[in-house]
Amino acid sequence: MREDSKSNRWLTAALLAPTSMWFLVMLIFPLIVILVFSFGERAAVGGYAGGFTLEQYANLPSRLKAFQNTMVIAPAGTLLSLLVAYPLAYFLAVKVSRQYKLILLVLVIVPFWTSLLVRTYAWIFILGGRGIPTLLEFIGIEGVRLINTPGAVLVGIVYGYLPLMVFPIFVSLEKLDKNLLEASSDLGGSPFKTFLQVTLPLSMPGIATGCMLVFILLMGEFLIPAFLGGGKVFFIGNALVDLFLQSRNWPFGAAVSVTLVAIMLITVSLYMRLTMGGKTGRDESLM
Amino acid sequence: MSKSNDDNKPISAKKFMKELRRYEKGSVTRRHFLGVTGLGTAMAVMGTAVPSLWSGKANAFGDLGDRLVFSTWPNYWNQKNLDEFTELTGVQIQVNAFGSNEEMLAKLQAGGTGWDVFVPTNYTISNYVELDLIQALDLSQIPNYDAAANIPKFAGPATVNGKVYCVPKNWGTTGFIVNTKKIKSSPKSWKDFFDVTMGAASGHSIVHDYQLTTIGGALCALGYSFNSVDAKELKEAEDLLIKAKPHLFAITSDYQPGMRSTDAWISICWNGDGTQLKNDMPEMEYVIASDGGEIWSDFYAIPKDAPHRAAAYAFINFMQDPYIQARDAAVHGYAPTDARAIALQPDSLASDPILHPAMDLMNGLEFGAAQTLTDPIRAEVMARFKSA
Repeated sequence: MREDSKSNRWLTAALLAPTSMWFLVMLIFPLIVILVFSFGERAAVGGYAGGFTLEQYANLPSRLKAFQNTMVIAPAGTLLSLLVAYPLAYFLAVKVSRQYKLILLVLVIVPFWTSLLVRTYAWIFILGGRGIPTLLEFIGIEGVRLINTPGAVLVGIVYGYLPLMVFPIFVSLEKLDKNLLEASSDLGGSPFKTFLQVTLPLSMPGIATGCMLVFILLMGEFLIPAFLGGGKVFFIGNALVDLFLQSRNWPFGAAVSVTLVAIMLITVSLYMRLTMGGKTGRDESLM
Repeated sequence: MSKSNDDNKPISAKKFMKELRRYEKGSVTRRHFLGVTGLGTAMAVMGTAVPSLWSGKANAFGDLGDRLVFSTWPNYWNQKNLDEFTELTGVQIQVNAFGSNEEMLAKLQAGGTGWDVFVPTNYTISNYVELDLIQALDLSQIPNYDAAANIPKFAGPATVNGKVYCVPKNWGTTGFIVNTKKIKSSPKSWKDFFDVTMGAASGHSIVHDYQLTTIGGALCALGYSFNSVDAKELKEAEDLLIKAKPHLFAITSDYQPGMRSTDAWISICWNGDGTQLKNDMPEMEYVIASDGGEIWSDFYAIPKDAPHRAAAYAFINFMQDPYIQARDAAVHGYAPTDARAIALQPDSLASDPILHPAMDLMNGLEFGAAQTLTDPIRAEVMARFKSA
């Protein structure tokens, strides 16, 4: 018996080794490097110089606006994506007949085959002065400015992240047992009440997964605000690009990264607690 | 490789005559002529008997490998030139475009770029040498480079501690572009630029996402040097920029789309882009500011750890050919530093007042100073302005 469990343990360890190595090399090690860097100093010509100082963390308030922008626009973008994605996912999962379902699903994915960069660049022209504002002038609405505003960034976010929100919700709605809806209406529930009390709660895992996917990616977003915000709607992702690629202040960039990771951890765990009652294992979440 | 040799792609009669004329006029070297026409290979074949035809190395350029990574600025090359180099040598070129010298430095400092040739600006070269990031050039491998034909003012920064680290590409000025249909007050200085930005053109002004030019412009507007690294002067520049920020249309070095859509009416601008804009929209006017600004030259350099060194030399040599230089400039508009190339340019470019401004207009302009590239205050001022 003892021999057995011992060799079992070895086997388990051997089987886990590749995964552990992957985690160690790709996740833990880089995080440690960033943590160490965040206590260092900027070298005279840029980059990193060793040392132990809290100076970088003390300098964080200088990026307050970037944190604020991100903390407001990322949740707003997530919510907006949800509001746009839910009806679409509902339509695809519940209303569309089988024969069209696949085609419509493919249509949702197709834009993903083109680089986000190219698609976002296209929006510069759509939202720019010779795009929608010119059309609006025809119907008498003048002086509308769309590009380089938070609104433009939100449009870009919803457009870019929609599939990430649609699919998890679609999956959870597709599994929806129609008998439950029937039972609800049989017992006198109005369609609206049925939706609120049956459909919506049952699709919560999909909503939670979609929101997490979009929100986490948005917190690190830099391309959409750079293109559609014209450098004026500045995310923390943009601040990081700046610190590493322009001003080459690696330690401060590391401190900003560590702070971002901390904020994410807190937000995500709070969110999990709220939406899943802390029992993440029970619901069939995609994550 | 042997299949891609130029001797397997016969040159057309017309092209052969063109190349012959160029050789006669002295605008290409004998080596270039032999290489382009395939005569060099033919001679090599005759000289060493038939088997070398199959050796795969019977190329006039020798065996250069099959790849080259070239890092440069946006809209700053003629694809035809790159294609022709690939055709001649079998070397495929991968182009990376960058938005600022800081970005290039950041990549090189981090290491492992895989770049073979890149295009630094004058003021960065001494930094690269100091940081041991670029290698001194063996000019005997770049016979097309003619030091005597290059304007010394522009070629000068290539030499650090008596060694030549790069060869010049183009030169230009940094001023601003105005849409005169939208702005009637004809701003002439950086002070005017910021006044207009915060006044008549509020919401329609662009500054670069580049510390040198944006902070430099603000410094000039305040009456200081474009290159200042003085903490007090930089603080004032930062205050001016932050005050102007709500009035800006964008902070971006990609300012042509905004100017073309007329969302923006005024923008910090490099003169070649100024020409490109004016060609399509006559109402655009490029201004060299009366209170200062930048004059600059760009170079071809080879990073210390370039993986394809032979191809890098062959490429730089190819790009130094006056005809190739002129063809390059025909696309991007910036003036060559090489008199031989300027002589080959059409009059419309060679006498363009934006590309070749009168010397007295440029009196107030400064070359970027090496210090500005690495100065931590300038870097932080720019970063704070952007995240303000």
